[in-house]
Amino acid sequence: MDNALEFKKIVAQYTEIKAEDMTDDMRFREDLGFSSLDFMSLLGELEDTFDVELEQEDAVKVRTIGEAMEMLESLTEE
Amino acid sequence: MKTIGELWEHALTSYADLPAVRWLEKKNVKERSYRELGEGIAAVRSGLAEEGFHKEHIALIGTSSVEWVTAYFAITTGDNVAVPLDAGLPAEDLIELLNRAHAKALFLSPKNKKLAEQVRVSCPEVQKIWLLTEAEDAGMETIEDVKASGAGKEKEFHAQPEDVATIIYTSGTTGKSKGVMLTQENIATNVESVQYEKEPGCVMMSVLPIHHAFCLVMDWLKGFSLGAVVCINDSYMHMVRNMGIFKPEVVLMVPMMIEMIYKRLAAADPSIPKSVLAEKVFGGNLEIIFTGGAHLDPYYIDRFAEYGVEVYEGYGMSECSPVISSNTPEHHKKGSIGKPLPNVEVRFEDGEIQVRGSSVMKGYFEMPQETEETLKDGWLHTGDKGYIDEDGFLFINGRVKNLIILSNGENISPEEIENKLALDPLVGEVVVTGENNALTARIYADQDVIKMKEISEDAVKTGLQEVLDNYNRTQPTYRQITGLVVRKNPFIRNATGKIKRTEAEIDG
Repeated sequence: MDNALEFKKIVAQYTEIKAEDMTDDMRFREDLGFSSLDFMSLLGELEDTFDVELEQEDAVKVRTIGEAMEMLESLTEE
Repeated sequence: MKTIGELWEHALTSYADLPAVRWLEKKNVKERSYRELGEGIAAVRSGLAEEGFHKEHIALIGTSSVEWVTAYFAITTGDNVAVPLDAGLPAEDLIELLNRAHAKALFLSPKNKKLAEQVRVSCPEVQKIWLLTEAEDAGMETIEDVKASGAGKEKEFHAQPEDVATIIYTSGTTGKSKGVMLTQENIATNVESVQYEKEPGCVMMSVLPIHHAFCLVMDWLKGFSLGAVVCINDSYMHMVRNMGIFKPEVVLMVPMMIEMIYKRLAAADPSIPKSVLAEKVFGGNLEIIFTGGAHLDPYYIDRFAEYGVEVYEGYGMSECSPVISSNTPEHHKKGSIGKPLPNVEVRFEDGEIQVRGSSVMKGYFEMPQETEETLKDGWLHTGDKGYIDEDGFLFINGRVKNLIILSNGENISPEEIENKLALDPLVGEVVVTGENNALTARIYADQDVIKMKEISEDAVKTGLQEVLDNYNRTQPTYRQITGLVVRKNPFIRNATGKIKRTEAEIDG
């Protein structure tokens, strides 16, 4: 994904893991220590930054960095 | 004032032309004045009476909306009893609660419409289901139909102060949620006793779940008693964006929200002036955050003050309508949960905070034993340990009961979850603990099942993770389990054979 670093920098606001150390298989809640609310807030920020609209019901099923990037990619391609 | 009806009538006559509610509809801000909201409430109230609902339990399932608020006030300013339920619960739990609450009618959010069919089949006492929408919706009755039945009839009943106004379901330590019965007077006096002044027209934003007492009473009833306009945050995804749209002066939050916002403030480019950042994150007018529901690290109070926002921590529980004590702009001490409200007496027994007063619940609905254990001679046993300092401020320093309190204010009963997980044959013994603000399941697998099926160590772990994944899929986010610890040994038990929860982390 072209915006991978920008995406990871947004994620990095909520965790102590640095953007460059993030791997696709890292899980938001279990590995990055996101609260449920951190995750919701992240989704909102992604919408604003990448100018996409997320369906909350689908978006909350995302568990890993890789899955989130895939979701974003599919939306920005549309 | 001793009833919600009196409180609402006062607001209606004092602030008729001021805005009462603002909300977003596809990015457009909609607004309704006290007068307009009052017309809707009166019509639904008469409609309920006209349809024969008199001293009945009427449930509400949905997130905050102008329709939800209209229905709630119509129920409680008449003589019916509102039962707000968590729309995020699994369908089977909602069905169980509707039956246990003896709900005779249901206001249902369009988002939860799928539930209607199950309610018709499994809740024989529910006579009517109305969708919480003002739009026409083919095939189902809506709140507009109730208004239509009440139009011009003005058939009304009014509740007495001692009548139950609302039943709020809360996690029980026995694993079964309990229906807290709050009377008209319980709620009305809680609203009056929380003392802070704001000019009519002040802007509040409601971000908490409306089925919780803190949101329902302190955002909506308190907000209306002050003549505030209460703005609805439609999604946690857009909380910060919505602050920029509504520009609130006062917001009620749970600590998890404060922690989340602070992460965003702290991660910002340090060259951006704090005033600019405050406007971006808080909308520019925010003065006060009231917080409660869980412990807040006092660290955040100083940090938020740097951005011009005062954070006042309070303390309460559904059983006390809900506020027991609160810091206020006039009286506050960092790290404390404020002074007890004027309508609350506080005493300590073996360190446990016990309270008595006009906001203490009538009891748990159809649970006499649990009521007796919690309410003794009018004293509510809070389950929290604490003390009062020389200046009259209350502090908490421990818990008596076995509940996990997450920083989003949700009280989790570990037994409730353990009972569900234990249904899987692979789970021998299980204890759920709260760690780092999330839930962890510690499981000792059933050794007979392992032997019989010759399951390898790795497969046990995978199997148990599957058990958790299956459970998580059916649960709201706050009740999901994010950690798994597979035990090598059974849990340590006490003399009566009960698992020692305090030693659940010791394995070996």
